[in-house]
Amino acid sequence: MKAKHFLYLIAIGLFVVSCENSKTGSNKLPVLGTVEEAQYQFVNQDSAEVSPKTFENKIYVTDFFFTTCPTICPTMKQQMLRVYEEFENNENVMLLSHTIDPQHDTVGVLRTYAEGLGIASDKWMMVTGDKKEIFDIAAKYMVSALKDESQPGGLVHSGAFVLIDQNKKIRGYYDGTKEMETNELIDDMKVLLNE
Amino acid sequence: MNKKTLTILGPALVGLVVVLILLYSTRATDQGAELYAVHCQSCHMENGQGLRGVIPPVAKADYLSIHRAELACLIRYGAENPMVVNGKTYQQAMPGNEQLTETDIANVLNYVLKSWGNEEKPLSLQEVQNQLEACD
Repeated sequence: MKAKHFLYLIAIGLFVVSCENSKTGSNKLPVLGTVEEAQYQFVNQDSAEVSPKTFENKIYVTDFFFTTCPTICPTMKQQMLRVYEEFENNENVMLLSHTIDPQHDTVGVLRTYAEGLGIASDKWMMVTGDKKEIFDIAAKYMVSALKDESQPGGLVHSGAFVLIDQNKKIRGYYDGTKEMETNELIDDMKVLLNE
Repeated sequence: MNKKTLTILGPALVGLVVVLILLYSTRATDQGAELYAVHCQSCHMENGQGLRGVIPPVAKADYLSIHRAELACLIRYGAENPMVVNGKTYQQAMPGNEQLTETDIANVLNYVLKSWGNEEKPLSLQEVQNQLEACD
């Protein structure tokens, strides 16, 4: 190989390395919004109260679903299970799924669903409560996800996973129906835990 | 290339192209697979595994042989009561698919009956029609 070609290769190599660095080097996720001020009180699958205090000093992922949803929800739960398994033993991580059909999804229904998934209720909470309160909090979580409003079912039923940090700042939105985006979420959670 | 080889090779090539097009188009229109993707997959998943203890698998499910005679009605009208699949009880109700025609139901069932390691005998359209006439 000619020396000139060699130089090109080195230049390309350096370029690739520098790109990699800029992607992972600074290791900070953007702040996309906040739910610091948000107040709510729901109950989970064990009838335990869930409020902002529940997530003190934790990072958590939240989503909105309903147990009888035949469209995107099972896929979302399938993907959320992957997140659950990845962080099952990390006490700084929690998951929070809100039903958007509280009339049907009572504590008992959520409990059966959670048992079916085989999840621990102190790690992955499935909550129900006042419908208006649930939709109000959904609007706060989804504040920067407005661009997905065109999806069937609207904003609340967009299939989004929202990543919240220890200070209740919104740090990422991911399409919970897609394996690749869930992989990205898992990677970002690791970044967030190291911040 | 002389004329003689052309007269032999020409039709052979045309035949080959026709065969390839046929192969491709039958593969692209596996009705059962398409129906499964649209109507079943979001719950029973791409690989037929279902969702843990919430939604039962259709892959290697003993339900397919045990309840063979009720499968068409299950697809059309769904099920409210808990269901036992491979010894495990599933509480989740299954929604019906009343928009599917008899042929659709036969196609999607036959896709499930032969996929993901399932080796069940296919159901004829007549069998599906008979089942549907006798739904409770």
